[in-house]
Amino acid sequence: MKPTLAQLVERRTVVGAVILRSLVRIRQGSSVRLYLTCIRNTLEAAMCLQNFPCQEVERHNKPEVEMKTSPELLLNPVVICRNEAEKCLIETSINSLRISLKVKQADELENILTKKFLRFLSMRAEAFEVLRRKPVQGYDISFLITNYHCEEMQKHKLIDFIVQFMEDIDKEISELKLSVNTRGRLVATEFLKQFI
Amino acid sequence: MACFEKASPALKHILLQLYRADKPLAVEHHLHEFGSLQYHIQSYVSEAHHAYLSISAPILSTGSSIFYGFSHYTVETVKGICSEVVQIIEPPKTGYQMTLKLDFSKITRKKDAVKIITKISSVQALILSSQLRELLTTVNAQEISQGAYKPIKLVYHPNEPFYVVKQPAKLTVVFPIRFKEYSDIVIAKAFFQELVDVGNSRVCATAPPCCWSPIPPPELRGESMKDLSTNGGFVSFEIYARHIEGKKLDKTVWNLLNFYALVKYHVKCTKGFVQRRMRSRLDSLVEALQHTGTEEDHHIAKVKGRKGIKKLIKFTKGTILTKRWNLTKKIKRIRSRIRIRWFQRRWLKLPSFSSVMRYQKLDKS
Repeated sequence: MKPTLAQLVERRTVVGAVILRSLVRIRQGSSVRLYLTCIRNTLEAAMCLQNFPCQEVERHNKPEVEMKTSPELLLNPVVICRNEAEKCLIETSINSLRISLKVKQADELENILTKKFLRFLSMRAEAFEVLRRKPVQGYDISFLITNYHCEEMQKHKLIDFIVQFMEDIDKEISELKLSVNTRGRLVATEFLKQFI
Repeated sequence: MACFEKASPALKHILLQLYRADKPLAVEHHLHEFGSLQYHIQSYVSEAHHAYLSISAPILSTGSSIFYGFSHYTVETVKGICSEVVQIIEPPKTGYQMTLKLDFSKITRKKDAVKIITKISSVQALILSSQLRELLTTVNAQEISQGAYKPIKLVYHPNEPFYVVKQPAKLTVVFPIRFKEYSDIVIAKAFFQELVDVGNSRVCATAPPCCWSPIPPPELRGESMKDLSTNGGFVSFEIYARHIEGKKLDKTVWNLLNFYALVKYHVKCTKGFVQRRMRSRLDSLVEALQHTGTEEDHHIAKVKGRKGIKKLIKFTKGTILTKRWNLTKKIKRIRSRIRIRWFQRRWLKLPSFSSVMRYQKLDKS
């Protein structure tokens, strides 16, 4: 049986939508990869920290990126943006490095899930060592890496961790959103089935 | 307001205990459920096989008017539970709206006992649904014919009122949703979105059409601003005749009564689920950071990490004390005078060594 014109149009629309969706996904995937690669390269360049005693207070050793006492010890901060909602701020100094992340929040649900999750992690910052308890203003989560961390840990693995962390957060938020919606759908189905 | 399970588990447990008791018990229990529901259970030794159950349930109010006490329809419904076993006592115990006298001796077959007691335990569900059912069935017919579909405000709980709008072909039930926390609102909104989607799908084609809107539906036009100000929007269900036919009426009424409880329960469970998920994720993230240690550290850890050595060093407190005791004994033996057979009357003294730390003054002579 030959398909009707309407059916053909509908089929073409569906196929078109599928192709468009997959193209968007590929583009999104490649843009994420580019964004993460850019952050990785910047971190590799920025993470050359050395021990540097405080110039203000004797026998003190403080992260200069936090204290900002001497401008000659600070490098220019770098902002890497994927879009308006997703960006990364890398601030470098002679003995410390601060990385602040802004995670994308497409809707209200993603917003509360991101806030909940990142607050949960920040509250347990002692488990991470490099995590800052309070994020820098305008960002969702911040890391503070000092020269001591670089001595204790392997530099490339630390960078891997930061990049992996970013990937994991995005993935986790998407999965959580999906799970919450799926749970809602199941509950709604069961509730409405009782009327039938 | 209402609970998902019709029978109250605590009440059922107590009644079953009274029924199964070998000898008559003197028992008095006060139970509170869901904030506004109260039970009083009493039994006397003098009255074997008898128990008194008093109930105070939230009374349905229609906003402007409040019904004091239970209506005739509700009383008749309660009487219909098991007329042989249950008897309504007039006047009820002070502070309660209804007192029932339960005669357990009338339960002839032991097999039926659990069934009957479960029915008695679900008396609150019966009271609550009968009020709403009565209201839906005996709605003012003149009002409908005049075309003035005035919404009826039903208040079981002061913070959770809902509206019923009776129209010729259908009944619209509107739930204004309010939450204290922003996160609760967002989760609830996601749920309502799913509810609307599922309602429109083929799976639930015969279920009552459901819709959610952030603004009040047109049916509620004219209601007070206080009642219409919400933060979670309005959920409305359209109930048609097919949904309240025969046995379906009970289910529909019960589901509508439980809607608020269901939404709250879903929000609470979802929050718990998110928290659990975050906890499990935290472990994996921390684990990833632990692998960032330097290679030297790993090497050192491998050399140091011999459990056997730790085990050799490990002693119990008792062993340490005995060892210490033996050592002191030995020291004592060394420091004590040595006895030699041939010099029995003379003690041989060990030469006293001068300590390195001690200062000895040299004589001038």
